Amino acid sequence: MRRFIDYYRQFDEMTPEEISADLRARRDEERARQLEEVPSLDLASGAWPGPPHAEAVNAATFALRRALNAYPDPSRAVAAIAQRHGVDADRVATGHGAGDLLRAALAAVAPGGEVAVAWPAWGPIPRLVHEAGGTPVPVPLGADGAPDAAALLAAATPVTRAVVLCTPNDPTGAATDPTALARLAAELPEPVWLIVDAALAPFAPDDPSTLVEARQRVLVVHSASKAHALAGLRAGYALGPAGSLIERIAPVEGLASPALAALAWAASAGDAAVERRRAHANAERERLARELEDTPLSFPAGHGHLVWLGSERHDGRTLAGHLAARRIAVMPGAAWGDDARIRIALRDAAATERLAAALRELD
Amino acid sequence: MPRNDPTDTGGLFIGRRPGTAPLHYRAAPETGGEGRRRADATLAALVLAAETVLCLSLWGPQPAGWLWIGSQVDYWTKSVTAGIAVAFAGMIGTLMFTLAIASRLDRLWRLLRRAAGHDQREGMLGRIFAVTAVVAGGIFLFWFVIIQGPGPTFSSTH
Repeated sequence: MRRFIDYYRQFDEMTPEEISADLRARRDEERARQLEEVPSLDLASGAWPGPPHAEAVNAATFALRRALNAYPDPSRAVAAIAQRHGVDADRVATGHGAGDLLRAALAAVAPGGEVAVAWPAWGPIPRLVHEAGGTPVPVPLGADGAPDAAALLAAATPVTRAVVLCTPNDPTGAATDPTALARLAAELPEPVWLIVDAALAPFAPDDPSTLVEARQRVLVVHSASKAHALAGLRAGYALGPAGSLIERIAPVEGLASPALAALAWAASAGDAAVERRRAHANAERERLARELEDTPLSFPAGHGHLVWLGSERHDGRTLAGHLAARRIAVMPGAAWGDDARIRIALRDAAATERLAAALRELD
Repeated sequence: MPRNDPTDTGGLFIGRRPGTAPLHYRAAPETGGEGRRRADATLAALVLAAETVLCLSLWGPQPAGWLWIGSQVDYWTKSVTAGIAVAFAGMIGTLMFTLAIASRLDRLWRLLRRAAGHDQREGMLGRIFAVTAVVAGGIFLFWFVIIQGPGPTFSSTH
């Protein structure tokens, strides 16, 4: 009989009071669990951690809704970029991010020769040189962590097709001295292309784009991923001599219209947003430097949100492992063939303080 | 998301729309086999019929019975007031008692419907009470106005 009654009782609903008590208990349990959990912190990705400017998104959205049936018209974005850098429009090529422009440029200039690369640099460059049929020749950075212009000049041989450097450098954040860079551009033998990855240049006070006036065979590649926080749009542009290379590195049908619209906005009205990000990144660099004072940890002075951290006591693998155990993800220097360091992409004050606290536990 | 999705609150409510909350069981119930579900559906129908009969009794047999009892009290006590008081109190008392029984039957009906495999969220008592009131009220008005009221005075037989 009891089983008979129990069978029907199981279909009885909970009372509102019971439901409320159950929800309260679940909430308390969830809160207790949240207090125990340490959220993961991704400091490995080199993309800017914050959202883009709302107007950049508006520009892309407007383009998306306006005439997606039509082929994109790059003229407005190209004119804005040309005006921004004070060059003619035929010296500008837009592309699917700095990476694709670099790949296309190397495919055009590197086959059969050597490419001197200031190393460590943006990770995929050696692979892109190989893909292009060239041989990458790593040239060590200077003591300050920036590409060494003199060493690059010395590395140029009769079989060198191009010299590639990043300034400010990814992963170190250090920028090559503009005077040394100008000297490199002036003294590099003319058949050699000077290719400058300027993805992080908006974070530095000096813009290497002026090199396009100093030399015929020079290509300066910019990205919207970092300073404009538009990594998802895959948009970038290159400045170089008018003619075949600029025409060859551009995608066949150009960029999608949302990317072009966002690029045009970034080139014509994005300075204030870039300035804020530059100040933010520099403040975080300074904060981390302060936090790590009196520790064996250090990183080169530089610009932007990327930090190349090393320790006198521990190698990069130990540093990365120690941070991973505290749910902080960073890029081990082994990715660049340097086991002594790690690359950290700074975010905000809270993230920097958590990172610094975790690092201080190590020493 | 479709416009009729109950979880789409349109920003008007913090949670879901009122009346769309799912049933909260203490544990996921285990429904019986096909035969048992059919038996439960039959039982549910019988319980619903009993509920209807109970509610109908509120509007006819019970008041009539209490009026008869009131008349007896009036006869034995020679007090009209006492008769009316007993009839009124009795009607209210049995109304409450009947509703209490009907409410329990309604709960039993919900359980049987759920056991029969239906997502039965609400009971039927309110609706049965209202419908039987309207039906009984209509019958009473017909009797009062047409049969026992001024109707016969208009007929040619008088």
